[in-house]
Amino acid sequence: MLNILKKLAMAACVSLVAATAQAEPTKLGFIYPSPTGDVGWAKQLDLAREAVVKEFGDKVSTRVVENVAEGPDAGRVINQMISDGAKFVVLGSFGYFNDGLRLARQFPDVAFLHASGFKQSKNFGTFTARNYEGFYLAGMAGGMVTKSNTLGIVAAFAVPEVVAEVNAIALAVKKVNPDAKIKIVWVNTWFDPAKEQDAARAAISRRAGVLFSLHQDTPSVVNVGQAQKVFVVNTNSDMTSHGPDAVLASVTTDWAKYFVKEVGDKLADNFNGTDFRGGIADGTVKVVAWNKAISADQMAQIKQAEADLTSGKMHVFAGPLRDQSGTERVAEGANLPDPDIFAMNWLVEGLDGSLPK
Amino acid sequence: MRAPWMIEPRTSLPPFMSLVPPLAAVVATVIGGIALLTFLGISPGTALFQLFLTPFSSLFNLSEVLLKATPLLLIAQGLAIGFRAKVWNIGAEGQLIVGAIGGSLLPIFYNDSQNPFMLAGMALIGVLCGMAWAGIAAALRTRFNANEILVTLMLNSLALQLLYYLVGGPLRDPFGFNFPQSAMFPDVAMLPVLSSAGRVNVGLLAAVALSVVAWLFVERSLIGYKLQVGGAAPDAARYAGFKESRAIWISLLVGGAAAGLAGVFEVAGPLGQLQRVVSPGYGFAAIIVAFLGGLNAIGILFAAFFMAVIYVGGDIAQASAGVPYAVISILQGIMLVSYIAARMFVDYRVIFPWSLAKAN
Amino acid sequence: MTWLTFLISGTLLAATPLLIAALGEVVVEKSGVLNLSIEGMMSVGAVTAFIVVFETGNHWLALAAGGVAAIVLSVVFACVVLFALGNQVVSGLAVGLLGIGIAGLAGGSYENMTVAPMARLQIPFLSELPVIGPGLFNHPLPVYLAPLLAVVLWWALKYSKVGLVVRAVGESPESANAVGYNVVGIRFLAIMFGGFLAGVSGAFLCVASSTLWADGMVAGRGWIVIALVVFAMWRVERVVIGAYLFGAASIAELLVQSAGISVPSQLMTSIPYIVTIVAVSILSMDGKRVRLNAPVSLGRVYLGTH
Repeated sequence: MLNILKKLAMAACVSLVAATAQAEPTKLGFIYPSPTGDVGWAKQLDLAREAVVKEFGDKVSTRVVENVAEGPDAGRVINQMISDGAKFVVLGSFGYFNDGLRLARQFPDVAFLHASGFKQSKNFGTFTARNYEGFYLAGMAGGMVTKSNTLGIVAAFAVPEVVAEVNAIALAVKKVNPDAKIKIVWVNTWFDPAKEQDAARAAISRRAGVLFSLHQDTPSVVNVGQAQKVFVVNTNSDMTSHGPDAVLASVTTDWAKYFVKEVGDKLADNFNGTDFRGGIADGTVKVVAWNKAISADQMAQIKQAEADLTSGKMHVFAGPLRDQSGTERVAEGANLPDPDIFAMNWLVEGLDGSLPK
Repeated sequence: MRAPWMIEPRTSLPPFMSLVPPLAAVVATVIGGIALLTFLGISPGTALFQLFLTPFSSLFNLSEVLLKATPLLLIAQGLAIGFRAKVWNIGAEGQLIVGAIGGSLLPIFYNDSQNPFMLAGMALIGVLCGMAWAGIAAALRTRFNANEILVTLMLNSLALQLLYYLVGGPLRDPFGFNFPQSAMFPDVAMLPVLSSAGRVNVGLLAAVALSVVAWLFVERSLIGYKLQVGGAAPDAARYAGFKESRAIWISLLVGGAAAGLAGVFEVAGPLGQLQRVVSPGYGFAAIIVAFLGGLNAIGILFAAFFMAVIYVGGDIAQASAGVPYAVISILQGIMLVSYIAARMFVDYRVIFPWSLAKAN
Repeated sequence: MTWLTFLISGTLLAATPLLIAALGEVVVEKSGVLNLSIEGMMSVGAVTAFIVVFETGNHWLALAAGGVAAIVLSVVFACVVLFALGNQVVSGLAVGLLGIGIAGLAGGSYENMTVAPMARLQIPFLSELPVIGPGLFNHPLPVYLAPLLAVVLWWALKYSKVGLVVRAVGESPESANAVGYNVVGIRFLAIMFGGFLAGVSGAFLCVASSTLWADGMVAGRGWIVIALVVFAMWRVERVVIGAYLFGAASIAELLVQSAGISVPSQLMTSIPYIVTIVAVSILSMDGKRVRLNAPVSLGRVYLGTH
């Protein structure tokens, strides 16, 4: 009799424990390098977080820490999150790399996703967007609509991701408008709205009729475009509300599907750190907010290119490609392989400008 | 507007009075912190706990406090020596950066080395670089009478641009996908960690040792004495033959050396490489620490620790309770302002007119 | 807009905040006080102005509000430095930190929002001139008020009684006090005046030339203002020249890039700082000239009788 009672008690305990374990939501931590605001890189990450919450409901609880500076201080924030029970941490900036990797080694049961990273481990995955594909499409639009045959690029820093985008724009513009001139202005800061706006005006003063705002988190360049009646293509979020006439297109990133999959894997105890490179084909990069100034024919051309990119029929960096010094970088018939794309430090020929010294 | 009171310097000071300003600063900061966080919607109890108690709540957190205190302590000791001589080195931030750059050269160019003397070499180069950077201001002050506040301030910005240029190009990691940062340092270039519970490293021991040296320098050496007199009574000093130019050089070089060493500790410690952000404002925070510590080597020890608690508490509050990082800056400001206000009451007697009238 | 137009208009827009804040700082330093908290005051002015424009749409109100907000911060600085006799250098840094922190906190929920830019002047004939029309004559009013303010201040410091008193207080507070002037009171007012202008300058940066608020947008301009005042050897006419020079330098880099010429950008950014160091050294060599222009008591604590 006692035996049976004991067994019943055990069973009750086990199921109680199991029940509470199941009821306890998994804690997810999100760390952003800038304030979330209503547009920008952090906002796009946050939209994906909301998708995760929508998908998993009670099974997860999320906590966001925004505006965390890169550097050793970030390590403290990550560590605190883990101390508070987080089992899944999204590192929203490349700069959280060193501390993130160190803590990943220390806490193998916590899953990490690291933005724009290049090292993976069992519990440490990286995610990067092939923004250059989106900018290729937007570049086509730019080349088609510019009446002055001049376009300007306002770029933050010459990191490979940005350089690839610059090259993609140049290639697209040349394809639809071989006579167009492309000017680049490097502002050399991730963040100085006044300087970004001055850079935009400098490009406009050189007759640029279309501007590409590469990685400015604020609508600084879009505002200038609206005021000066110049088209602007921006990064990360749909900025039509900040420039209803000016926005030619927005190259947005949608991490929802990726985050949901990774969180799902973690919940199912199936997490594996991968190197995720999302692009047009899988819906991570979406070009939206096409301006109505683009004619139906032109739109059709762009959509065709989009389809070709999706199906794999076309690659942005297909040979033959030469850099500014004339050296051939990609042979005829070949495609630039991924590692070279994501380490790009050269500009294609035909650009009016160079990499900052 | 005339203030309705008179002030005169105190001639005698009961010994416990010198503890009043720092205590006042601590109290004001605690109250200010709680008030701020309550204003942001967090309960005062949680606020107090987050900001001031969690830094002590685990070995890891304590280790972080000590880690954070290391550069503050080191730089403040160096700066205090100059400040006592009234040589205003505002350029510690730039000297730290230049020291970090210098200290990074060996590990970058000998990235596969296993030479156990690398750390010593890094420290030496870093210190020399920091001294050279501060030396520019000393040279301009002694030769051209250029105000060192201005020159050191401008040199901060120049150092930053130099850093950006170097990590963006010449010192960039060739295998780092063109990101603006150097290769990770080899193990021999890293400071040994004191305990596996955290990240605090031998830099702390060096900082404490140098604090003792600083104390001895000020209290027991002739040069230290000369510097102090030069600051307190410049005419008397000149009369006694203490050369002003020597005081300027020593003050700036000592400050530059301390900041340069702190820079090496950063890249050889928590950073492990040279990158764009080498210091979150340690050079400026150290100025506050130096003053908070009453320009006294022992006081600075406590002040550096307290400032580090604020930093770490602020980070924890940011992570756990969503408190914006801006709160830390505000608290630093409150700390210093209340210290200065309290200091006034300690250094000077405030005489109200009615007490005079009563005496009559 | 041609590149020449942009050069002119960009310079004017970039220089105006520098000029406004520097004029205020000149007055403060002439009275003998070194105020290093300008960056904090500009930040506070910027965030206040942004919030006012966002809520009310009135730009002039915003400029005024920015100035007033900075006055509040400057009163804190004045009390610490004049009543609590705090060391001016350190107090300036502390109050500056306070200002930057407060601005960051207050601006939290307004991050990334945009407002309409300030209305631009349209002068019937002049604004339509080719090239120089939009370059020179098509800006918000404060751009033109700033040099006017400079003229007024130049005259006032040199010829008016108020200016004389301010300078006397800076040159020799003991003598000024002996003659009957309230040294502390005058310095207090000077600090408030400088604070007001610093706030207006930050406000202008935020709602006239850039239309956005973002934490840290003052981006070091406060330090450039301090450099500017010393570079100009505390002379108002040199402050004006310096402000437009510094403004032009920041624009020139971008223009040169957009012309396709590659410039080492860190070098370009460094130029104002290098120039200031060189200028300070050269100008300080001539001891007489320094004594003639630098307020003798600059930075020194004044006890006096309150």
